[in-house]
Amino acid sequence: MSAILGKPLNGGRRAEVDLAGKKVIVTGGVRGLGRSIVDQLISKGASVTVLDRDTSGLKTLSKEKAHVACFECDVSNYEQVAQTTTRYHECFGAADILINNAGILYSEPLISITAAGAKIHDPAMWNRVLANDLSSVFYVTACIVEKMITTRTRGVIVNISSVSAAGIPGASAYSAAKAGVNALTASWAKELSPLGIRVVAVAPGFTDTDSTKAAVTETALRETINRVPLRRLGQPDEIAEGVLFVLQNDYFNGKVLELDGGLVI
Amino acid sequence: MEQAVELDEKINGVLADVLGVPLAVITDDLAMRDVGAWDSLKHMELILSLEETFGLQLSFDEIVNMQNVGNIRQTLERRAKS
Repeated sequence: MSAILGKPLNGGRRAEVDLAGKKVIVTGGVRGLGRSIVDQLISKGASVTVLDRDTSGLKTLSKEKAHVACFECDVSNYEQVAQTTTRYHECFGAADILINNAGILYSEPLISITAAGAKIHDPAMWNRVLANDLSSVFYVTACIVEKMITTRTRGVIVNISSVSAAGIPGASAYSAAKAGVNALTASWAKELSPLGIRVVAVAPGFTDTDSTKAAVTETALRETINRVPLRRLGQPDEIAEGVLFVLQNDYFNGKVLELDGGLVI
Repeated sequence: MEQAVELDEKINGVLADVLGVPLAVITDDLAMRDVGAWDSLKHMELILSLEETFGLQLSFDEIVNMQNVGNIRQTLERRAKS
């Protein structure tokens, strides 16, 4: 073996990341995929904090999981994010892991043909989806990473993307937002990894959650399932297991793990 | 005295390597604003390279303060003594 191969640069392989005791923030952790991620992190011994705007959902979560810290926060609002993360840092110091999961699903064609004529995609909904699914990722990450850097904390950022980032008809805003999330993942991995902060993404396909069922008609969902080679929706637990994988594998960086049953091949 | 010279040589070597400047231009007065390539991203690369070379971890306040060669030298000298 050559000298350079014999002496790995930058210290060589590091052990699998142990999640026990790690301080983890999950946005949108009250229900659906976020809740599955929270449950799996707890099972690994992580110290979990949830940021969510669902007040009653947070109350229920804190009753069910007394040791989960809950902060009410609309992550699409920068002022709320700045205030909430400041409070978090006062309570817990720098986080080790941030999982940007919060977001909304929305479908609307660019142009809808109706009995009244052609209707353009609602611009307000375009802005709302971008604020919830893309700007929120920027806001929370900026506030959390600043503290990681100033305290020299080695951390991991996991962005929940979607296979829709490749573009799906009838979901311009959602697809654009998720493509933006993938671009942020790549940019931040290049920018932050030298500082010891990994940035990765997990991109589910169609997942069996209430928000999927609310956003897609039953007919469209059946058609989608037929296009998945495995002929079924993904389960939130399966996606959450993917999140654990990218957290624990210290060499996974700047990439998007697609978990879609083979929908995009 | 010998140790101080060795420290200077190491610092200058890292600066020349990371910033891509000739050793001849590296003086204590050389600052971020004087070197086009020395932006905030390059600054962190420089800090990490210095940390690796000297086997230490700098605090954020030290990192912020190390924006010219003189401050870099003083910080590393202080850390070498502590």
